[in-house]
Amino acid sequence: MLRRLFKDIQGDIFAIPGRLIAFIFLITLFFIPLLTQESYILFILILVNIFVIFAVSWDFISGYTGQINFGHAFFFGVAAYTAALLSKNLGLQPWATIPIGAVAATLAGMLMCLPALRLRGPYLSLVTLAMPLILLGVIKAFPDFTGGEHGISGLPALAGSRMAEYYIALVAMIVSVFIMWKLVDAKSGFVRIGIILHAIREDEIAARATGINTIRYKLLAFIIGGFFAGLAGGLYAHFLRIAGPATLDLMLSFQAIIWTVFGGIVSIYGAVVGVYILFPLMELLRQFGVPVWPGSDIMFSDLRFLIFSFLVIIILLFMPEGFAVWVRDKLERECPRCKLSNASWRKECRACGAELH
Amino acid sequence: MKRFFLISFVSILIIALVLPACAPQQKDVIKVGVIGPMKFLEGEHHWMGAQLAADEINAAGGVNLNGKMYQIELIKADSNEILSPTDAASAMERLLTVDKPNFVVGGFRTEGVFPMQEVAMNYKTIFINCGAATRALQMKVAEDYDRYKYFFKGTPYNEYYLVNSDFLMLGMVAATLKKQLNITDKLRVAIVAEKLTWADAMVKTAEATIPKMGMEVTGVWRPSDTATDVNAELTAIAATNPHIIFPTFSGPVGVTFSKQAGEMQIPAAIVGIVVEAQKFGFWEATGGKGNYVMTLNTYGPGIKITEKTIPFFENFEKKFGQPPAYTAATYDAIYIMKDAIEKGQTLDADLLVPIIEKTDYQGTSGRVMYYGMDFDAKKYQAPHDLVYGPGYVTGLGLEWVDGKQVGVWPALGIGSGGWEKIDYPGIQPYVINPAVVEKFGQPAAPAAVE
Repeated sequence: MLRRLFKDIQGDIFAIPGRLIAFIFLITLFFIPLLTQESYILFILILVNIFVIFAVSWDFISGYTGQINFGHAFFFGVAAYTAALLSKNLGLQPWATIPIGAVAATLAGMLMCLPALRLRGPYLSLVTLAMPLILLGVIKAFPDFTGGEHGISGLPALAGSRMAEYYIALVAMIVSVFIMWKLVDAKSGFVRIGIILHAIREDEIAARATGINTIRYKLLAFIIGGFFAGLAGGLYAHFLRIAGPATLDLMLSFQAIIWTVFGGIVSIYGAVVGVYILFPLMELLRQFGVPVWPGSDIMFSDLRFLIFSFLVIIILLFMPEGFAVWVRDKLERECPRCKLSNASWRKECRACGAELH
Repeated sequence: MKRFFLISFVSILIIALVLPACAPQQKDVIKVGVIGPMKFLEGEHHWMGAQLAADEINAAGGVNLNGKMYQIELIKADSNEILSPTDAASAMERLLTVDKPNFVVGGFRTEGVFPMQEVAMNYKTIFINCGAATRALQMKVAEDYDRYKYFFKGTPYNEYYLVNSDFLMLGMVAATLKKQLNITDKLRVAIVAEKLTWADAMVKTAEATIPKMGMEVTGVWRPSDTATDVNAELTAIAATNPHIIFPTFSGPVGVTFSKQAGEMQIPAAIVGIVVEAQKFGFWEATGGKGNYVMTLNTYGPGIKITEKTIPFFENFEKKFGQPPAYTAATYDAIYIMKDAIEKGQTLDADLLVPIIEKTDYQGTSGRVMYYGMDFDAKKYQAPHDLVYGPGYVTGLGLEWVDGKQVGVWPALGIGSGGWEKIDYPGIQPYVINPAVVEKFGQPAAPAAVE
């Protein structure tokens, strides 16, 4: 059995460079706390893992269905506030508040999406854009209950130590990404949702003509994506120990889009790569207090948004499919006959032997 | 070309990672973390106030600890809290775990200070909040003393006391109008406040308090804190014919409101909280239309609250070319810490906390003392918050008169509860807007003929 497992791993992971890199990356993430006890690094990585869940859930909804959601922070904020309110008013602990928050985000998202999904294109995007703004208005309208613009603070910590928090966020990220990745796998023999979402994205009218209830599937995408975005929101609230209006910020919604597009939309792993590069990069640039030229008052850190924007533009100019997809295309090649992925340096397909060049 | 960009990208990453580690190590220094939104005026003034204090202390030899003189070394941390509380938390985490300061001063936006507070308390590091008024931050000390005892207030006093000062200023203006314009009728007051939670409490209190002060409320208007046009509100306010407009603005609407009120020449005295009017650029921002707007502030030109106020104000202006904003009270916070370290002869936060709790320091904005755990909640006190009132920290009322900020409150002889006895040299009589004089001024009653 072990031999078979090893063979499967060898065939599905070691033979494909992209997956091998992902595998090594995951193993490294598990061992990081053993390599460094630097709390700040773990702090940033925890946030990165939380935002990976958030960005991947955006890719799940918007990338795979083509329903561009400009208000993804809505799910994040609903879950963060639900977790905070449950924690403050009922004294519930994070293991209870985070899943309930995610469910609340799902329900709220479902209710809001029922009218929204009758719309398409820019009209849908505008409705989604309005969602977090409406909730923000509600929060400010009931400050005694929601804490108004100060938010709800003093929540219980995610765990007792930074390392425990790191592993919680890491496991949550891996499980969430894996579930979403399997759900959208168009080649999956178990779940049909992936190929249907692909069909909806490519041509919704054609998909409907084949008998697919596209609204139901789009709703399903919002429910699942909303759940995971909510999970990220709950983790975030307990990690920073505050749920405030910033969890509904428009910028947060746009960041999910930037991270995903940078890494590669409609790929799931693109969002992971996007967050893992851009979030720490912005953090590094923020600390980069070196003058732009000797004697200058302007520091590199002052120009971080400019550098960030420039970098994103350059990447998208030269790698329009996204950075991770570009790297994958350099490393892998699809067999023209059996469609299996092969390392780009192979001359023949590892399965059917077809010529690759 | 592609290779060039890739190499550039990787090089930036490597330089960013390696460079901070190349900083020379220094000994015999006390490290002070200065955290704030460094791309905004509030954060800049956090840094400037701290720089001034550090320069003065270092020039005088440093901090005497166990017979050795330690220099103050400042570490700047950009919290970006106005835009992102997440950035605020990670900036504090980095500051405390990488730079490892002995204590931290700064903070501005409440939603950013809450997570920064949590991080600082995780590392049992003294954090003196020099920007967020919210009492709830200080009440954490009462909720869990062992965890939050390292958190102190530097400036300003809490929002309940801001409200109190606001009404005292209103009372002073009302008394001046009545006396100088011989108004015998009830004064009419229009309440206008930005649509934010902190202003809600102010509006409720104003609606209840103003009638008790013998005045009539003509209405309440709530524009957005970022409104770029308040002509509709101003037209409606003008229609109610108020003597006084009582604003509560922390956002940029303060500029819009003051400018448009000036353009419309509304004959009403404007007195309240207009944060934008605290800034030295207010006059230019309003194109000179913000004349006679009066706001609560911490520092004012030529006003001597304590012996330290004027030297601080002048040195600050000389060094940085602008007057200090209230967040520049990082200056006092560093001096308070210096005193505590020299008294306790220690850098141990647990040993310093009880010494700071007993602080009695003549600061630049008044006598600094802290409420203890025996605080009176009914009087809106909170542990480790600034003691408020005559003889302690009071604040100032500044009026814009022909392009200059003039200190007009606390006014000697006007007020009650001890405030009427406050005599800060440099305070001048309140100047009534000529449009108000023209509209409401009545001839004085003829003097009795003997």
